[in-house]
Amino acid sequence: MARARLLRAVALSASISLFSGTVESFQKPPDVEAILTHLDDLYRSKSSTSRMEIRVVSRRTTRTLRLKAWSRGEEEVLVVIEEPAREAGTATLRVGDNLWNYLPRIARTIRVPPAMMLGSWMGTDFTNDDLVKESSLHKDFVSRVERRSEDPEGWWLTLEVKPEVVGRWAKIEFLVSDDWLPIEERHFDRKGRLARTMRFDEVKTLGGRRLPARLVLTPTDVEGQSTELRYLEIDFDVPIADDTFSLSRLEQTR
Amino acid sequence: MAWVSSKYAFRSVGRNLRRTALSVLGIGIGCTLALVTESINRGRDELFARMGAYSGAGHLRVVPGGWRLRRDPRLRLADGKRDLEAARSLPGVAAVTVRARAQVLLAMGTHVVPLEMVGVDPENEPRTYRFVQNLEEGRYLAPGESGAAVVGRAVAERLRAELDDDILATAVGKDGDIEAALFRIVGIVATGSEDLDASICQVTLDDLEALTGLPSVAEVAVILEDWQASESTRALLAPRVAPGDEVLTWGEIAPEFQGHMEQDKAASRFIGFLIIVIVLLGVASAQLAAVLERRREFAVLSALGMQAGHMVRLVLQEGLTLGFFGGALGFALGAPLVWHLASAGLDFREYMGSSYSFQGVVLEPILYGDFGIWMIPYVLLIAVGATLAASLYPAWFAARTDPAVALRVAQ
Amino acid sequence: MVAGSTLRIAWRNLWRNRRRTSLAVAAIGLSVALVLAYYSLLRAYADWVLATLTGPMLGHVQVHAPEWRKDRAMDRTIEDVASILDALRRDPEVASATVRVYAPALAALGEEGFAVIVMGVDWEAESRPGRLLAGAPTPRSRGRVLMGRALAEMMGVREGDEIALVGQGADGSLANDLVQVQGLIETPVDFVNRQGIVLEIGEAQTLFAMPDEAHEVVVHARDPDAVELLASKLAGLPNLAGTEVLDWQTLAPEMVSLIEIIEVAGVFALVLIFVAASAGVANTMLMATFERTHEFGMLLALGAAPGCIVRMILAESVALGLTGAALGGTLGLLFVAVTHETGLDFAALTGGGPTELSFAGLSWSMRFYPSLAAGDVGRTILAVLVTSLIASIWPAFRAARLEPARALRD
Repeated sequence: MARARLLRAVALSASISLFSGTVESFQKPPDVEAILTHLDDLYRSKSSTSRMEIRVVSRRTTRTLRLKAWSRGEEEVLVVIEEPAREAGTATLRVGDNLWNYLPRIARTIRVPPAMMLGSWMGTDFTNDDLVKESSLHKDFVSRVERRSEDPEGWWLTLEVKPEVVGRWAKIEFLVSDDWLPIEERHFDRKGRLARTMRFDEVKTLGGRRLPARLVLTPTDVEGQSTELRYLEIDFDVPIADDTFSLSRLEQTR
Repeated sequence: MAWVSSKYAFRSVGRNLRRTALSVLGIGIGCTLALVTESINRGRDELFARMGAYSGAGHLRVVPGGWRLRRDPRLRLADGKRDLEAARSLPGVAAVTVRARAQVLLAMGTHVVPLEMVGVDPENEPRTYRFVQNLEEGRYLAPGESGAAVVGRAVAERLRAELDDDILATAVGKDGDIEAALFRIVGIVATGSEDLDASICQVTLDDLEALTGLPSVAEVAVILEDWQASESTRALLAPRVAPGDEVLTWGEIAPEFQGHMEQDKAASRFIGFLIIVIVLLGVASAQLAAVLERRREFAVLSALGMQAGHMVRLVLQEGLTLGFFGGALGFALGAPLVWHLASAGLDFREYMGSSYSFQGVVLEPILYGDFGIWMIPYVLLIAVGATLAASLYPAWFAARTDPAVALRVAQ
Repeated sequence: MVAGSTLRIAWRNLWRNRRRTSLAVAAIGLSVALVLAYYSLLRAYADWVLATLTGPMLGHVQVHAPEWRKDRAMDRTIEDVASILDALRRDPEVASATVRVYAPALAALGEEGFAVIVMGVDWEAESRPGRLLAGAPTPRSRGRVLMGRALAEMMGVREGDEIALVGQGADGSLANDLVQVQGLIETPVDFVNRQGIVLEIGEAQTLFAMPDEAHEVVVHARDPDAVELLASKLAGLPNLAGTEVLDWQTLAPEMVSLIEIIEVAGVFALVLIFVAASAGVANTMLMATFERTHEFGMLLALGAAPGCIVRMILAESVALGLTGAALGGTLGLLFVAVTHETGLDFAALTGGGPTELSFAGLSWSMRFYPSLAAGDVGRTILAVLVTSLIASIWPAFRAARLEPARALRD
């Protein structure tokens, strides 16, 4: 599930593996399993550093953050806010099941209690189980090719959740391009209603991989609300100092 | 002369039957009223205790040590099984149930509702938490069922979910990791209070344990047959529970109810007092009037040599006799009334605004009067006490009668 | 004419036996006084319950942004609150108006964060008697907060400690600050004690990036009985266009039923007391009349018409009843007049109820302010009159049918 992987990269972990696979441009229906595996691994790696921009549009205001993130494995992530200046230096560290926030303005580190980890992340439309869950398109869904799309060119896939899987989405409709990059993802809740839509664009080569650098998440029910994530830079599989993911380092991240 | 005076008292009471009848009737009615009032007062106490207990508090609750201050849903009993056994073995128990709680986030699509989910024992829970008895849609949890949830109406609305929909519950597990489970809504509860409705979500105890990884029993709730035995039963239970666990009464769990009750008790006492005073007034004036009319009689007695002390005793004895019969009458009239109050109860719903259709669930406003052995001494005390008190002045007055003056004065 | 002379005779008859009449008047008067006293206390109690339920948190009318009550989202605010408050305070039926901010946040003394609700309030308005912070030590300088006692105990915070607050502003930005705990409070509102950190409203607005905005406007009405009207009237104000204006009954229907139960129970007790008083009056009348059989016999023997006797007896009863009622009424009104302003200490009155009510931790002194409506007095006097009349009918007719000889012998 590209979305889940993507978000983990942002906040908690980014296991990104380079994929330089072949590109199929035929009209014949592609191998769905292969596509899903590709999507699951699109942003994975053993470690990474990245810079990204998050823009949250709400009915009231638009807020843009620029972040720098380090991640290692599935368990360690450090995110530091670079902009806006007012919040620069604010950092979030996750190690395993613990989450800390460092607030430079008051020079304090606070541990987030487990109960508060359940809600929306940083005021965006991403939820914490987006970030935390070990879910996989390939393993959790039964998939098939639905139809061909001409504009944009690609394939619509329908993914239905397997009965024993515990998750919010009963169905996902996925539009992948002919080179197996995600274009649009639609999430349907357990009642079969369209709950949110994710759109991917700005395909670039980052960190040696070709992938969509921009992702926009729009919930269906809330008007005027959307969250946009844009990668500015990514480096995959880089060595990261051990003490990066420590509290003491947290306080020096300015 | 003692026995003479009592014989005289008796006979004089019998002589003027109408006067006696009136006095006895007056005292009787007064006693009936006092009886009914007291029964209602006690019933009101019971109503409050019931309200508090049945809104989940229970009459007694076994909780983990430290819960009283922290109210952390993650706290667990030191030995839930032992506490449950101890509770079941208590005398006078009407129902016992166990619960556990967890802070969860319910989700359907992008809609979320954070609340405290309660794992219950479906068989016993409705007997102790009356809100879940009134299901607006669907049904309650069935014993042994898995994956089912009963939620409040506001929860369903906020999630945009309906009966038979699957909702996701995420909670923080035992080791701090995030756990999730799906539940199907099998029942929807509407209590009439939106806040309450937005906080109700019940699943079976086993399901909650599976979700959180924490052992199931976090509290044992006990409903007693006689709510007034709460304190004494607590004293019985406390030494039998596992060390570290505490036994709380409903007053400690829901102090706001206790506060109201205390306040109401004082108010009721005041009302009872008022009624007694009024009864007293009625009796006193009647007695006094009677004595006044009999001045000649007393004058004659005095002239015949009856001493003041004896006359006082005479009047008092008359008073006592009247009081006794009055009390008996009061009891005879009042007992059936109180019995009716105790069994059928006063249903206040008819007198309350009908626009709140579900208010009957939030508080069942039926007041059951108290019927018990206390009634006999109560009536006697009031009847005799009131008449004695009322007869003091007349007695003194009678004793002071100057025979010459009294005999001279025309009626 | 006849009536006039009958009444005069009746009056003179009454006072011929001064002692008996005085006694009867006193008995009736006291009963009436007690009934009126109870009535006034019932009203006082009802007022008190209302004040208790609506005073601290609920107020009489509340204003919110639409949908705020459902999810309490930070960004659903009421804007231009300064001008809203102005407009509200100018309304003659508004006794007071104030605003609040509710912001879920994390609070930490050390490293451990706790979920709290930061409430931004107007110190002055909320510390008036009967309000949320009545009796609490409100801070005088910036950066000071009050904390719910239960919350402080859970966090291990003491007065004077410095804590960090982290939350989300109304614009989604990160809100964080260090504040000092000025005092620990126990309010009548449980969630404030368990999760509340109370901050000055202006500081809260700045911290959470909501200048001139708030989540809730709380209005207290001059006339607590006309709240629904006030709510609809205020809803029509131009400043409040687009907001949700609700009276407390709509906001908290469960409170309404609580009050109704108390009222019904009170009326029930009143009925009982009424009956007791009536029984007393009746008894007195009956006794008084029957005791005078000899006297009536005499009158009959002297040639008085039976009808005349009946009229006289009835007239006497009316006069007696009225006099007693007048006495009682005066005493009752006196009671109310004396206690209305200063109030009555409930504990002293009932001889030992709670002097302070422990309600979710706060001590409430139980002072009641009795009051009476004209209707109450009228009803009581009418009841006494009717009872006196009815109670004297039987003896009256009996007296009329007396054989003078037998009556004289009695």
